[in-house]
Amino acid sequence: MLRSEKRSLFRFLGIYLSSTFILFFLATVIFYDFQKHQIIDTQNAELSDEAERLTQALRQLNKTFTPSLIYPQEKPFDSAIYSLDRAYIFGSFNPKNLLWDKEYYQQGEQLFHIHPLYPYYLGVSHLVIARTINQEPIDNLIKMSILFLFVAGILFTLLGVFLGKLFIAPMKESIEKMNRFIEDTTHEFNTPISTILTNIELLDALYDCEGKQEMKRIEIASKTLSRLYEDLTYLKLNHNYHRQIETLNIAQLTRERIEYFYTLIEAKQLNLNLHIEKNILLDMDKNDAIRMIDNLLSNAIKYNKKKGLLMVTLTQEKLSITDSGVGIIEKNIELIRGRFKRDNKSEGGFGIGLDIVGQVVERYSFEFDIISTYNKSTKVVITW
Amino acid sequence: MVRFLVITTVSLNLMAQSSSPLLQKNCIDCHIQQQIPSELIYRRYLMRYSTHNEVRKRLLTYLKSPSKETSIMPSQFFLKFPQKEAMEMNESALVENIDAYLDYFDVRGKLVLP
Repeated sequence: MLRSEKRSLFRFLGIYLSSTFILFFLATVIFYDFQKHQIIDTQNAELSDEAERLTQALRQLNKTFTPSLIYPQEKPFDSAIYSLDRAYIFGSFNPKNLLWDKEYYQQGEQLFHIHPLYPYYLGVSHLVIARTINQEPIDNLIKMSILFLFVAGILFTLLGVFLGKLFIAPMKESIEKMNRFIEDTTHEFNTPISTILTNIELLDALYDCEGKQEMKRIEIASKTLSRLYEDLTYLKLNHNYHRQIETLNIAQLTRERIEYFYTLIEAKQLNLNLHIEKNILLDMDKNDAIRMIDNLLSNAIKYNKKKGLLMVTLTQEKLSITDSGVGIIEKNIELIRGRFKRDNKSEGGFGIGLDIVGQVVERYSFEFDIISTYNKSTKVVITW
Repeated sequence: MVRFLVITTVSLNLMAQSSSPLLQKNCIDCHIQQQIPSELIYRRYLMRYSTHNEVRKRLLTYLKSPSKETSIMPSQFFLKFPQKEAMEMNESALVENIDAYLDYFDVRGKLVLP
């Protein structure tokens, strides 16, 4: 899957899953709240039953004239009896701050029920019954809600991935078509480009040709085509390509690549400024290193002004290539790293150069910074 | 009827055993003699009015002017027990006696936890 496809899929999944999760979370909270109220109502109903039992027991006690009256307490309930002026008469507990205007209420971990009584058996006008909330059904409800969210989360993630793939299928198809086209085209490029370059070298070596300027132009054009072929092949084979990691002398390689681009540099009359330290060694695949350096040099030459500055600095920590060219608009600096993205269309190209650089940088965990001032200069720094 | 008599007898005996001297002299002696169920009367008033304050007020009204109208006891009660004469006591003495009566039968002192 391409990076753009992955990005689209992740964006879709992000929006889809977050909205689904919020919806399900709200639904679960409402469901939990409703069910919890049902559980509390059931426990309140038990308080109500206990109030009825106590009422009957008080009625019986009211008819009893023995020296002591055994208070009809029954666990797990606590109860207390009050007279009409709400004075405490007796009880298994003596609660404070009762809310007399409420029939049922919760205070901390306790449920309270205030039950009015008439006739006032033993002078009792109000029964106050309390019990500690039975947490077990509430705990079970919480577990059930979490399990529901978890299972729904998994199901909707799977559904999201399936829908996401359906969603990006047309884009994937277009990209595949483009890739097939590039693949076919590059295949056809290879032989004629190699032939042209070989023959130019032969002509240059064997014959004293009169049209030197024209020959240079042909060489430049052929090298541009050759590099384009290399880039497209690199992109096409990137995932299956077997890399041979070796200790490369990047200083030497950078000089070789500058040499390769010398015809272009000369044609644009650039002022080349080199600060290349000796023996900079890096463990890399050679083709990766060439693609990275070539694309940076190519961009710095292509988008430079005539007689502009091209500065290449290579130290133990970094490679930086600076040009005095068209620069990049600030808001586009991050965008141009993507495939087929170009800030300036005045020059030829497919917009794959910085994508390749980005891939190499990512593969070797380097850092890649672009510092640019529009219409003035661009500096690309690779830090390892 | 048997149950009523048993209750009356038991409560009258208990009263006689441990009531205050003032209550004993002014009320209980006569109630025992005439077998008037004092605790039953107390419970009936309590069942109607709930608080001692209200019961005190009602009993005072009755004692100042005893009649069927000022009593809450059923009419059959007065067929069985004679209508009381007005007591020759001032209001504060009546209140003092009523308070002793209410304290003596107070359910708060009788209720116990199992």
